[in-house]
Parts: sequence; structure tokens; C-alpha cells
Amino acid sequence: MIHSSLRPVLKIALLALTLTLAACGGGGGSGGSGSSGGGTPPPPPPPPPPSGQEYNAASKFLNQATFGPTYTEIEDLVYGSESLWLRNQFDMAPTLHVDALIAAGVANDFESFRAASDSYWAAMISGDDQLRQRMVYALSQILVISEGQTSVLAGLPLTTAHYMDILSRNAFGNYRDLLEEVTYSPAMAAYLTYLYNAKGDMETGRVPDENYAREIMQLFTIGLVELRMDGSVVTDGQGQPIETYDNTDVTGLARVFTGLGLNGPNFWPGDTAPDATYTPLEIFEFFHSDLEKSFLGTTIPAGTRASTSIDTALDTLFNHPNLAPFISRQLIQRFTTSAPSPAYINRVANVFETGSYRLPDGTVVGEGQRGDLAATLAAILMDSEARQDPATSPNDWGKVREPVLRFTHWARAFGIDGTQAWREDYLWDTSSSGSLGQHPFRAPSVFNFYRPGYVAPGTETGAAGLTAPELQIVNEASVIGFANFISVFITGETWGDNRTDTLGFHADYTAELDIADDPDALLDRLDTIFTYGTLTTATRERMREIIAGVPIDAQSPAEGRLGRVQIGVLMILTAPEYTVLR
Amino acid sequence: MSLSRRHFLARAGAMGMLGASGLSSSLISMPALAADTTGYKAIVCLFLFGGMDSYDAVLPYDQASYDTFAAIRPSLLNQYASNGATRDPSTLLRLNPDNASDLGGRQFALPPEMPGLHAAFESGNAAIMANVGPLLEPTTRSTIEADTARLPRQLFSHNDQQSTWMASAPEGAQFGWGGRFADLALASNANSNPLFTAMSAQGNTVWLSGEQAQQYQLSPDGPPELLALQYPPFFGVTQAEASAALEAHFRNQGVSASNLFERDVTNAMRRALDSNAQYAEAREQIAPITTQFPRGRLGDQLRAIAESISLRGVLGASRQVYFAATGGFDTHSAQATDMPGLQGRLDAAITAFTAAMAEIGASNDVTLFTASDFGRTLSINGDGTDHGWGGHQFVIGGAVNGRRIYGQMPEYELGHEQEIGNGRLIPTTSVEQFAAPLGRWFGLSESELNLALPGLSNFSGSGPGVV
Repeated sequence: MIHSSLRPVLKIALLALTLTLAACGGGGGSGGSGSSGGGTPPPPPPPPPPSGQEYNAASKFLNQATFGPTYTEIEDLVYGSESLWLRNQFDMAPTLHVDALIAAGVANDFESFRAASDSYWAAMISGDDQLRQRMVYALSQILVISEGQTSVLAGLPLTTAHYMDILSRNAFGNYRDLLEEVTYSPAMAAYLTYLYNAKGDMETGRVPDENYAREIMQLFTIGLVELRMDGSVVTDGQGQPIETYDNTDVTGLARVFTGLGLNGPNFWPGDTAPDATYTPLEIFEFFHSDLEKSFLGTTIPAGTRASTSIDTALDTLFNHPNLAPFISRQLIQRFTTSAPSPAYINRVANVFETGSYRLPDGTVVGEGQRGDLAATLAAILMDSEARQDPATSPNDWGKVREPVLRFTHWARAFGIDGTQAWREDYLWDTSSSGSLGQHPFRAPSVFNFYRPGYVAPGTETGAAGLTAPELQIVNEASVIGFANFISVFITGETWGDNRTDTLGFHADYTAELDIADDPDALLDRLDTIFTYGTLTTATRERMREIIAGVPIDAQSPAEGRLGRVQIGVLMILTAPEYTVLR
Repeated sequence: MSLSRRHFLARAGAMGMLGASGLSSSLISMPALAADTTGYKAIVCLFLFGGMDSYDAVLPYDQASYDTFAAIRPSLLNQYASNGATRDPSTLLRLNPDNASDLGGRQFALPPEMPGLHAAFESGNAAIMANVGPLLEPTTRSTIEADTARLPRQLFSHNDQQSTWMASAPEGAQFGWGGRFADLALASNANSNPLFTAMSAQGNTVWLSGEQAQQYQLSPDGPPELLALQYPPFFGVTQAEASAALEAHFRNQGVSASNLFERDVTNAMRRALDSNAQYAEAREQIAPITTQFPRGRLGDQLRAIAESISLRGVLGASRQVYFAATGGFDTHSAQATDMPGLQGRLDAAITAFTAAMAEIGASNDVTLFTASDFGRTLSINGDGTDHGWGGHQFVIGGAVNGRRIYGQMPEYELGHEQEIGNGRLIPTTSVEQFAAPLGRWFGLSESELNLALPGLSNFSGSGPGVV
């Protein structure tokens, strides 16, 4: 949230109003308003009130950059600037999980299956560091681990939380550092099976596990085929893509990721340190391959120690020319558009290369080192394509919002306290297509919930050749599943008949109830928060008719008002104008 | 909402959906295509995600072969020994194929976790397809080393080899051979309701994607209903007009967005409302299947498919393709711990499915086959195996020419002509060759087979006579 001293006075009046409303039930999910200034000088004359267009532009930006904005946050941005908002977000301390979970008495066992997940729901819904946590969510879909029910990480919440903390601390750092911390993380080592991966044995023909060697190349750094800076595929004389590596590179690189074990006296499982499953891996030199390691044109001489081998390998992958377009394109897909133009990819990839980006207010984001993620993210969000007016954007621009983001937006817009997630049974696991069809940090495999190259068969985007990752989880079951899932949260039915219970997810609709007698006012507000002014006349007219059709009884108006708000919220969250962020 | 009105809406919507797809339909407009669509036939693909280790599913049994195998996998077999001894030759279920003479004296066995498949094999209702996988042309180690072989792209990559198995091309492919089969059946008017031709019990899959056929998603307990339309008063919507308007909202009726993503999500919701309502209506007309399926996601999927097949008459279907899938086969690690459970669950689910087909009198009309990303290495990495290429698959059903091992059973050792390092097998039967007899059984003509399986003509012969 922007500091109040930077806002014109009118904003202070509006803020006072929203704070009053918030006092009724904890509205404005982001907390930490920092509005107390005290002793301010006499106010200058107020500027003209901002236009609806300014609200919509601010809302669109925050819809792209956060887990869904509140009305207050939109208003803050209207009176601030995107540059300032980004700088504040980049400076904000990261939400971290492990220490808090340990302090809360969480053990790293199956009894605490939910713990990491609940902690992350809280971060998504109530964390102040929204941009960082969105980046964590994006990175978690590139550098994928999963604590899903059948994963080796299920029931190791502190191991998953440790990984979340790695992503959180490095979200605005450098991709090279991130790669290294990921490589030494117990979560990735267990998930991609290089934990206890021993050097080969000539005698028996045993060879090192190839899993991480293959996936770090295919999924985490360079991809399968050579790319230009604009993401386009380089082809040979026959028009075939040029592959970046073959199986000999995999077997060569596999020798690098040997000899890593949990912190303790022995390589093999046994007497590990109590915190070994949520602290960096240890090198056991005896089990590290002492053979020559050759891959991607790099040769590590025989007898090279593990840390040097791993450094060299990560440097080789990091320095590969594919890295910038490969990672940039996927990050663009997570934030703004599913099938980014070559020009957009090229602009972002160049910022990834230079490591710095100049914001509109002149300040520079990034350390000037290749792989700077803050600069890359700023370039994605501030790009002219991302900031274009949705009224005139091309018809192939935008993305289907992930179901998790639609849900968190509902929660944030209506003041849900994310720390209550653990009380909501429905959030135990939202992976099935009968609920959200997606659960953070619980993808079905290292290939994530969907593939960045997915082109949906039998669709219009598919016919146009557009990649549309999120459409991979859209089907007859999941579209109904989402509408039903969100319906029970909107109506508070997740807490059953016990409506006096103040715990769990209780929506605060105060601001909407206050205007429920006026369907147009209610629709204006919802359109601002959720669809940044893109509701079509036809959709809006029909919503108006339905909302107005909910009678408000003069004797007991509260019930009718609540019905109007709830049906209005359900309709906007299921409107195509909302489902697609453009 | 009354059933009849829902039914009407669904019909109207279905026609709109098919008419508005705007896609080319080259297969459909092909003249003189006439698949045989008499009776009822269904093909079920059961995909084993992760790449099943077929060396550890169809095990060597004669002493010499087993000893060679054991010498290559000592630590893995030790881990099995300390974990229930389920790879000890005394526990293995020996296969007695009618074509034993093709195997040069070698014998094979299934692991003890697969008694159901073993019984099906022995009784002639299951067959094994040896060393099948993606190929562009007949390929050997010599042609690869001489650099004269044309190879499928992105070998050994999970997602790309899944896609290549299903659709002959890496990730991003648009049409799978299951969907092509469905297209050709539809072109011959096999089904009075085209919505229920290509059916998935496990999410969107390219295997089922055709140009005309769009896949329908089965849910384990029947199609979900939209709560807000089922109970509009819950939201304060009490008037009939408002309820109708609410349905129009979910259908985005009368709105024609220009954004392609918005159009896709709108179409998805419309299709869901249409097809779920029709499917639910059909479901109410048929008694539930009584065969018990094992608990768990795979059992749920095969139960949903069995139930769907039981509705074939009500749905007006004479040709259908189904997709189910289960994961966990990427056994880089802990193979001795994980594989027995994976195989046991697979066996129990397939066995229940077979029983359910008998219950509804469809045993001879339904053929299930397994597929997987790839086989795995024969060499081990300590406690697991790595990505390979060719692998063995099962074909199960009353129509199967069973109790046979088709194709060429590879040597279970290193360094032979169909191996390219660490026991990664070069397939001797291509996926298209494997698919061809399934398509022929499904009713497709030879020219249709070549349309649906474009790579087929690069191979001689008509494929294994497995069905």
C-alpha cells in the first residue's frame, strides 16, 4: 500500500471512509495501511477527482500483478503510480514460512500435511508482499516441486515450506542464485530423485540417476530447442527445430548431481540432523562422480569436486543463450498473456540479459546483472502491450486466469483473513476438477498443471495457433467445479449452519451491501474491482436484471441485499470478461 | 429445471456448438469414406504416465535370461528381496503363450501383483505387444550410429513422448489417433449424439482430439450440476424470469466476444451445460453397475468409463473411444517400493473393468490397451531406472487374440542391435503399427487407417493381429 503522505488530500478522506468500513470486519486483505501521519500541514486545494478510466487502468494493473486487488488498493494506485507501487513492492520484506511454522509447533510429518499449503494460502490472500508472492507462484510453476497427495513430499510440510522460502527470498533476485538454492534444496532433490544419487559403478553397470539432469535442462533453464531472443525456434535447413541437447548431454550432466545428501554424518539415510529436511543439502565427496563430465560443450575434468562441478554446470546452463527467452516467455504467460508476441518476448528477454529496467518515473529496477528477476518482472508488467487499453487490445491478447487466482481475488476483495485457511476444509486440497482443479505447490508432475506450449485442440485459440496453458485444465467438469466451489465460499456455506462462528473465511460485503439497493452502483463497483471496466453492455444488462430481481423486503431488507451482493459476485466471477484477463 | 426443458436446451446448444466450431474438417468432407459402424465397439486407452519399466512388468523367467537380468540389476533385486521378495522367480506368474515357439526357448512372467492380467492372458483375453514405441521408419542401432535413421523428435522427454504416442508429434500436437478414429466414426454417422464419442476420464488429452470429435470429460460420480442453477433461491433468485436469466448468464447467451480466449471459455461453459445435462439424463435411465471397483482414482476412472459404456444404447453410440490414465511410473528412485503398488492397483482396476464389461454384456465389444511415455533403461541407477524408448504394452478384452506375445521380444541384456545404451530399447513395432489393428477392429477401412495414422505407410505389413 502506498504511504498516505504521498496521496492528495481527497484520498485521505476516502481512506478514512474505507478504514471505517474495514473496522466492521477486517476489510482490505492486505492490512498494514501505514496511514497514521499525524501533524500534517494544511491541505492544498483538492485536484479533480480521478476518472473511471484511471480506476480501470489501475485495477487492470493490479489484477495482473497481485492475487487480486481490493477496492482500496485500486484507489491507492489511482492516487499513486505504478512505478511507486512496484518500488514499494520490490522493497517489501518477503513473507517466509519455515520459522513461523516451527514456532507454531508444526512437525515435518503427515499429521501436518496441510501446514505449508495453509501458510501459502495466507501469504497469497493476506500477505503485503503481493508482487513477490505472485512471482513465487509463477516460479513454482516453472521450477516445479509438488507436495500433492501421491508425491514423495506429501507430509513433509517443512520441506515444502523451505522451498517456498527459497522462491520467496529469490523472487526479485538473480536466476543464477535461485538455480543454485533450488539445486541444493531437499525438496527438489527428493522430488527429482537426486537425493542419495551415488556415482556410477563400472563393475555392475550402475549409472547415476538422470532425472534432475534432464529436467533442469528441459524445464528449468534452456528447453529442448534453440530459441532466438524473441522466443522463436531456430530451424535447420530442412525446417526442423535444432535440439539443444541429446542423451549424451543428459548422461554427462547426470554425473554432476551425485553425492548430495541430507545434512548429517552419513550419505545414506540415517543419522541426519533434526533440521536436515529443511536446510540445504550437504555434499558427500566420496559419492560424487570423479569421472569426466561432459555436456553442452562444457567438459569438467575427471576428479573435480562436487561444488565446483555443480557451479560449472549451473553456470553453463545459466549462460546458455536460450535462458532469457525461455524463462521470459513463461513468466509473461504467468502474468499477462498466454501467447506473447515475439516483440514482447524480445523486449523482456533483453531486460533479462541486461538486468535493469527503467520505470516510468525514472528509477531503475535491477542490479544490472544478467538474470535479474525484478527487472524482468518490471519489464513484463510495464510493457506497452501489458498496459494497453483492453478496449482496443487484439483478440489474441490475454490469458485465462488460473482458478487459484480467481479464488484468491474473491478472498482479497472481501476482506478474508488468509490465516484462517486452515479452518476451511475445502482448502485441504483443491486439486480435483470438482473444486479448483489446481492447488499451489501440488502440480500433478514436474510438468506443472499445464504446459507453456499447450495449444488447446478444438478451440478458436487453437485454430489460431495460440498457446493457452490454462485451457489444459478447462473442461466440462472443471468449469462447473469452479462455479460451485466459489459459490459455497461466496455464500459462506463452507462453514455450514454455524453462522455465528467468527472463524474461517467470512466475507465482508459491507461496502457492497451499502449500495445493494442501487444495482448500477453495485455493478460499477464490481466492474472496477474485478473486470476493470470491461463488462460488456449485454453482460451488464443481464446481471442488472438478475440483481434487481432479488427483492428487498422493506421489513427485513438485509436478506435481499445479501442475496443481491452474493449473486452479483458469483456472476462477475464467472463472466468471461473476468475469466479472461486481458 | 425440468428434464425435458434441459434436454431441449441441450440439443439446441449442441447444434450450435458443432455449427460454430469454425474448424476445417478435411477428414469429414473426404468422399467415399464408410467405416463399418455396425454393432457397438469401444477402444479404451489406459495411459501409464511416467514411463513404465516394462523389464519389470514382463519379467524374464527361464533361468539363463533371469540370471542375465539379475546380474544387471543386483541392487534393485536386493531391494525387492528385502521388500517382500516379489521378484524372486518362485513368486513370478509364468506366462504360457501359444506362440512360445516364436520366443526361442525364452520364457516370461508377470510379477505376483498382476494375477488378474495373468489370468486374462492365460484364458486368451489378453495379449502382450512387445517393444512398441514411436518410430518414423524401421530403425536399428546400426542405422542410428550411421546417422541414416530418421528419428522421432524429443526422444526420452516425458511430455513430448506422451504426445508422440498419442498424436505422432511432440507437445503442441493438435490431433490424436483416438480423436481421428472418432472423427471417422462420426463421418459414418456411428453415433446419433456426436457429443459422446470421445470420452476422457482423466482430463484433457490430445489422444482424443479430433477435428470434429471434441472430448467429453467424465466425472467419477456423474456430471456435476451447477449449484447456482440448481438452487437459485439460495442466492435470493426466486423469480422464474431471473432464474432463466441466470442460466443465460452462465451461457453468456447473446454475447459474442471478439477475444479468442473469451470465446473459448464461453464455449467450454456452454458445452458443459449441454453435455452434462444430456449425460445426466441418460444416466438416470440405466441401472448402476454392480461390479465393485477398487478405491482410488484409477478405479474411479475405469468405473466411470464402464458406466458410460453401459449407457451406449441410451446415448445412441455405436463407436466410442475412451481415455484413462494413472501416474507414478517414473521410477527413477524407490522402484522396489513403488512398482508393486502401482502394478497391483493397475491389475485390480483392469480386472474390475473386465468384470464390469462381462456384467453389461460388452466383453467382446470393448478393447483396452495400455500405453506409456516410454520404456526404461535396463541398467539401474541404484534404486531406480531412467528414461528409455520402446516398451511392452497389454491389450485386453474378449475380442483380443490373446495368450500371445506379439512383435519381437528383445534380449534382456545390454549391447544388442535394438538397444542404444543402458538397455534403452529401439522399438521394433511402431505406435501406428500397434494402432492399426485396433482401428481395423473398430471398423475403419484401410484407406481410413492411413488417414488416421499418417506414418503407417512407412512400415510394411498390416501390423500385429492382436484383435
